[in-house]
Amino acid sequence: MNNPLFLLYGMLLLGTTGYLEYTGKSFDRVNQQRVLPKSIRDNPGAYRSTYGGYSRYIGGK
Amino acid sequence: MSSTLVSPPLVRVKSLSCPQCGAPIELRGFAHTLNAVCPSCLSILDASTPEFQIRQVYDSKVRIEPKIPLGSRGTFHGVVYELIGFQQRTYESDGESFSWDEYLLFNPYKGFLYLSEYAGHWNVIRVQSRIPERITARGRVGWAIDGRRFAAFDSMQAETSYVIGEFPWKVWRGETAACEDFIAPPFMLSSETTPGETTWSLGEYWTGAQIWQAFKLTGSPPFTVGIFANQPSPHAGKTGSAWRMWLWFNVALFALMTIFNLTKANHQVFHDDYVYISGKSNDSSFVTPTFELTGANKNVAVRSHASVDNNWIYFNYALINDQTGQTYDFGREVSYYHDSDGSEGSRDDKVVIPDVPAGRYYLRVEPEMSRSAPSTRYEISVVRDVPIYSYFWIAAGLLLIPPIGSWFRSNQFEARRWRESDYKPVDSTALKIAGGIIEHLGDD
Repeated sequence: MNNPLFLLYGMLLLGTTGYLEYTGKSFDRVNQQRVLPKSIRDNPGAYRSTYGGYSRYIGGK
Repeated sequence: MSSTLVSPPLVRVKSLSCPQCGAPIELRGFAHTLNAVCPSCLSILDASTPEFQIRQVYDSKVRIEPKIPLGSRGTFHGVVYELIGFQQRTYESDGESFSWDEYLLFNPYKGFLYLSEYAGHWNVIRVQSRIPERITARGRVGWAIDGRRFAAFDSMQAETSYVIGEFPWKVWRGETAACEDFIAPPFMLSSETTPGETTWSLGEYWTGAQIWQAFKLTGSPPFTVGIFANQPSPHAGKTGSAWRMWLWFNVALFALMTIFNLTKANHQVFHDDYVYISGKSNDSSFVTPTFELTGANKNVAVRSHASVDNNWIYFNYALINDQTGQTYDFGREVSYYHDSDGSEGSRDDKVVIPDVPAGRYYLRVEPEMSRSAPSTRYEISVVRDVPIYSYFWIAAGLLLIPPIGSWFRSNQFEARRWRESDYKPVDSTALKIAGGIIEHLGDD
C-alpha cells in the first residue's frame, strides 16, 4: 500500500458523505422555533418571520 | 533471489618497497594491479614490473583522506570486497571546480567493483563488458541496457586529481577522460572516453547509511546535499497509485450515491400554484393546507419556482407542525436576470431542512416583490426525504487533493533533479518573458 494516508482520508470522506446523506443533514440556513401559537394558522399575518422585512436595492432614484 | 556468499578471501599480501622513499607498499590486487601509489610519498609506481619503476612523483603537500579507509572490507550483494584504491576526480563547470571521489574494491573471485561519492550521494558501479543499445530518450541520444532506458543527464571533462592505493590500469594524476552520464533512477549508465577507448559502467544509487552498513563503519556517513542525478524519487510510483486509488474511491462514491438515490423516498407531499399580485394588499402572507410527513426524522425539501423575468421574488417561509407548533423558519429568494450578455440567477430554488420529525405540517408563506413588479406566477412544492447530491460533488472534489498533491510533489522532485542537468527542460514561460523583453528592447 503506497498511500495509507490517502486510504484513511478517502475512507473518512466516504464515511462522512454517507453519514451526512443518511441523516439528511443540510448546510441550508434554517431557523428553528419551538413555541408558536396555533392561532397563526388562522391569522398568518400575525407571524413575524426571522427573515421578514426583506429589503433589496432595486436601483432607481 | 540467489546470492553468492563468499567469505573474506585470505589475501596473501605482496610486500615491496617504494623506490622513491623506501616505504613499504602492500599489494592486494594480485596480478591485476598495474599501478600502485606509495602511501608515504604518493609516487605512482609501475607494479607490472618487478623493479617498481616510478611513473609519477607527487609534488604537492595536499593529502586527501578517503572517507572509507583503504583496506576496509565491505559486503555488496553478498560478496565481500576489499577497498584497494581511491581517486579523486575533478571537473570544471561555469568556471568552478567540482570533485567526486571514486573507490576501487576488489574480490579475487568476483573482480572489481567501484564506489563513487558526490555530496553524500553514493553509487555502486560495475564496469560493463557489453555495449548498450543506442536509443532516443527525452528527445536526445540515450542508451538502453537490460531493458532500462537511460536518458542523457550531463557530460564533463574529468581529470584525475588525486590517487592512492593500487589500480588495475595505468593511472596518473592529470589524466583526463570525457565522461557522459545517462540516468534511469536508481541506475546510472556512464561512459568514459579516453583516446582510443570507451568504457561503459553501470551504477546503482546507494545511500550513505547503506554504504556505512556494508563496511560496518562507525559514525555517520557524510550528509547529502541536493538531489543526485540517479537518486530514486521518494514519490516514484505513488502518483500512479494515488490516481488508481482515486478512481476506486470515485467508484465507491458513485455506488454510494446510487444506493441513496434508490433508497431515499423522495416523496412529494405538497404542491400548489399561486399568483403574486403587486399592491393588492399590505399583507401577502397565507398558509397552505396541511400535509403529512411520515417516517423517522428525515429531511424535507421546499422547492420554489417563480416565473420572474429580470426580477426577483422573496419568500418568507415557515414550516409549522400543526400539532406541536414546532416551526422551521427560512427565507428564499428566486431571481432571474438576462440580457444579450447572458443570464444570472434561476427561476428555481430548493432548500433542505434536516431532521424533521413525522407529523402534520403546513407552510406559512409570505412572498415579497418590488412594488413595480408585474403579477407573477409561482409554485411551491414540499418533498420528503430527498438525496443531497452536493455532498457527493464536494467529496469528489476533496478526493482530488491527494493525487494532485502527490503529482505536484513528484514533479517538484524531478524538476529539482533536472535543474542540475546539462539538458534541463526549457521553461517555455521564461523563454516567452525573455523573448518579450528582447523584443521590447529592440523597439526602443
